[in-house]
Amino acid sequence: MPFNRKLQKFSASINEVEIGTGDKAVKIGGQNVLPFYSFDGNIGNGAKVGIEISDLGVEGMPACIQACYEGCTSFADIAKKAASFEGVDFLALSLEGGDPNGLNKPTDELIAIVKEVADATDLPLVVEGAKNAEKDSELLAKVAEVLAGKNVLVMSAKEENYKAIGASAGLAYGQKVGAESAVDINLAKQLNVVMTQLGVNANSIVMNTGSASVGYGFDYTLSTFDRVRAAALGQDDKMLQMPIVTPVASETWGVKESTAAEADAPEGWGPVEARGISMEVQTAVACLASGSDAVILAHPVSVSTVAKLVKELV
Amino acid sequence: MALSGIQIFKLTPKKNCKECGLPTCMAFSMKVASGAKDISECPHMSEDALAQLSEATAPPMKTIKVGAGESEHSLGGETVLYRHEKTFVSKTLYAAKICSCMDDAEIDAALAAVPVVDYERIGERMYTEMIYVNEKPGTDPAKYAEIAKKAAAVRPVILGCKEEAAAKAALDAIADTKPVLNGADASNYEAMSKLAADAGVVLGVSGASVEELYDTVAALEKLGNKNLILDVTMDSIKATFEAAVLVRRTALKDGDRTFGYPSIVNVAALADDAVMQQALVSLFTVKYGSIVVIDKMDYATALPLYGLRQNLFTDPQKPMKVQPGIYPINGADENSVCITTVDFALTYFLVSGELERSGVPCNLLISDAGGLSVLTAWAAGKLSSTSIANFIASEVEGKVKNRTLIIPGKVAVLKGDLESKLPGWKIVIAPLEAVQLVKFLKDLQASGEI
Amino acid sequence: MAKFIVIGERISATAPSINKALAERDPEPILKRAKQQLDAGATYLDLNIGPAESDGEEIMKWGVELLQSNFDNVPIALDTANMKAIEAGIAVYNRAKGKPIVNSADAAGRIGYVDLAAANDAIVIALCNGEGIAANNDERMMYCQTLLERGLMAGMSEQDLWFDPLFLVTKGMQDKQMEILECIEMISQMGLNSTGGLSNNSNGMPKHIRPIMDATMVAMAMTKGLTSAIVNPNDLRLMETIKSVDVIKNNTLYADSYLEL
Repeated sequence: MPFNRKLQKFSASINEVEIGTGDKAVKIGGQNVLPFYSFDGNIGNGAKVGIEISDLGVEGMPACIQACYEGCTSFADIAKKAASFEGVDFLALSLEGGDPNGLNKPTDELIAIVKEVADATDLPLVVEGAKNAEKDSELLAKVAEVLAGKNVLVMSAKEENYKAIGASAGLAYGQKVGAESAVDINLAKQLNVVMTQLGVNANSIVMNTGSASVGYGFDYTLSTFDRVRAAALGQDDKMLQMPIVTPVASETWGVKESTAAEADAPEGWGPVEARGISMEVQTAVACLASGSDAVILAHPVSVSTVAKLVKELV
Repeated sequence: MALSGIQIFKLTPKKNCKECGLPTCMAFSMKVASGAKDISECPHMSEDALAQLSEATAPPMKTIKVGAGESEHSLGGETVLYRHEKTFVSKTLYAAKICSCMDDAEIDAALAAVPVVDYERIGERMYTEMIYVNEKPGTDPAKYAEIAKKAAAVRPVILGCKEEAAAKAALDAIADTKPVLNGADASNYEAMSKLAADAGVVLGVSGASVEELYDTVAALEKLGNKNLILDVTMDSIKATFEAAVLVRRTALKDGDRTFGYPSIVNVAALADDAVMQQALVSLFTVKYGSIVVIDKMDYATALPLYGLRQNLFTDPQKPMKVQPGIYPINGADENSVCITTVDFALTYFLVSGELERSGVPCNLLISDAGGLSVLTAWAAGKLSSTSIANFIASEVEGKVKNRTLIIPGKVAVLKGDLESKLPGWKIVIAPLEAVQLVKFLKDLQASGEI
Repeated sequence: MAKFIVIGERISATAPSINKALAERDPEPILKRAKQQLDAGATYLDLNIGPAESDGEEIMKWGVELLQSNFDNVPIALDTANMKAIEAGIAVYNRAKGKPIVNSADAAGRIGYVDLAAANDAIVIALCNGEGIAANNDERMMYCQTLLERGLMAGMSEQDLWFDPLFLVTKGMQDKQMEILECIEMISQMGLNSTGGLSNNSNGMPKHIRPIMDATMVAMAMTKGLTSAIVNPNDLRLMETIKSVDVIKNNTLYADSYLEL
């Protein structure tokens, strides 16, 4: 008997969410199959790759990435440079300097950076918060306001602050909202429920269901992707059909494989740059293969490699 | 794989003759499905139906063994497609590639590089398990055999060879090391199957398409060879991904055992660029490669990859644990401050990462807490003042002179008890979250407290 | 496992207001009940037009089109003793949200409904009875087998025969209740789907008791593997129980707001 090709068809599909405006706008989601399973059906918009910069500027980057931004003296320069790298679909701006347990930069200062970056690029913009729920509810609400009309994605809406961020970004200023749930699949669903009950359109919501470097509890990250997709497509769970955006760089550039200088590292580890890129690329690909619709990376080589692989697969 | 009542029912004569002791064929089928009755109790099952039943109850994916002695590895035997359903059985193995097209010096250098990556991570040895020895068509069989022999002295070998003479020469030289002969396709499978069977080794099968691969496997099974690995590498990344998924899914989800074999993905044949190979090896570790072949395994590739594999193949019900002990960080010695947490691997990695970032030398003390997180271990009685005090008295006091112990902020309640159980020790409470450790330790250091 | 399927039973010619609306082609009462049921969580709507011997085809077509055009092609169970009316309804039925259900066949006089479903690629509710109610589970399974074979012979997928064990009234047949549950278990062990008019178990009980009995029965039946029921979705206690059991059975993913979904 010849091979009987059985398709895995789902009647449900992942929501399509558009970020940005004009020619450079990107859409994520829209598929009714598992990631890259083009042989089963419609893979929607494929996977997208974003590049991350932060309010800490060039100094805030790992040394090997700093070299890629040589000569950049302003946030506008950095944004333009980041947007110029091969394979970049969108720009992600992290406002980590706002963390009250860190630099605790005031909101006004951060908003000025946000505006400078937004004015410098026509790429879709994703803004990540200060990793502090209280600060973010004020900061990100303001971000949504000053970027009105740009159709940006405001990440970092959590259980504690989704009302403030959802009301501003999702309702008042028509932006897209990213709900963050840290490998808790029940919370991922719950946030989507309460956000839609708040009045935010389901097609304006994306999820960050959790992120980790491979080797560092990535088992939870991966199984969360698998289970979210099983519920969204297999059980037609409308409250989990939002596309997933995963910040990868902020995880992978913090682990010792990516930070230990060659001189301090165990014998044979080799240059730190190659290790950092490998960690970032392998984590990103594992995320995309299990359910992420977009990843946020930092090293230009990682971005171009992952983008190239995506192109091969879609 | 167990059959459902309906699958069995479809094979019964549906006569309701009651000779099995049950009123209907349907009732009988249910009993067979639940194991309460044996199919042989029906006197009217046709030969054909019985054969279908026995085929259907075989495991969906065979377990195939490669390598000999200490270097033997099991591949396949999987029953599910997702790790949250059930623990994956056989972890992905990695092979570094050499080729008869390389000169002797290149081959020696490549072979010498294989053992370089070899380390332990949470109780698991991480190294390159196999070597892929590619034959450039037209290589002198004796020369190929010589290369294979050199490689087999280092690791179990996969012979990537479609030429009969060269394959035979190599097998003659190294059959006892139980290599894989990855050389059968639609054009040569009969000869290759005979070679592999005579040498008692696993045969690798490839095809220009999923359909052709399927037909060749079916033909090999007809010849009686079921000791196979399927090389799903196609002419593009996309086609290879499709083949890797379809082979595994057809076996496990659709129950078609013709594809119930482990797979080889030759990433080295799909991309030249080292970073792209890292991307691909990650992809095919997540999606269903049993053996993945890359040009070279270095630490940059290995460190993320083996972490990924370890995460992927753990039992989702069982937390990963690190060994109890004293872990010196930032060049700590016997005079450095002690800080303790649980043996749950994720907690250990989080805490040790932050400690490293602080730059403060300290001894991280890990006691046995059942692999649970801090609060869970405390609630379960596995992290208590007694457990910490006993560990410190028996394992630490003889080795470390410093008498300051930092305990997790979440179990601040243990402070009083610890002070009374550990006379001479100063107990300090850490912040609630690991991310706050850097600042906390730096502040302690600046104030001269540690 | 798939989520439990609730077939809303409230559009029925047995209700005088609906009977009148069907006869007069008055959409209002029908749309109102449809909306109430869908808002409460019904997946399918049962459209029972009664025997409708004379104008069944017209009524069924009208009803199917009315419901599907107003509620985004809601899937429907076509419920009548008039086979031509069912065929007429299927002819205008949109399958975007699910196959039509033929309600219903049995293993005796109504076995032709299986053929009707097979010919129209529909789901059929298959009552496990023949001439008269089955005396015990041996008989029920015999009928089940007859219906199953009929469907398979006609080329149906076994998943499209939804077996109804026939829930019995507790007041009067209290000693048979566990038998019904065992029957559901057997159907489930076969890997087959099941459904039924579950609230029949509480027939004749005081109004305030019925939701309690129905909720309890649905929980027990779902534990045994019941995959669907023809019920009143506006019974809040019943629906909350179904949603909760779906969570416990891992048919739907839990979220704190699961009862509101």
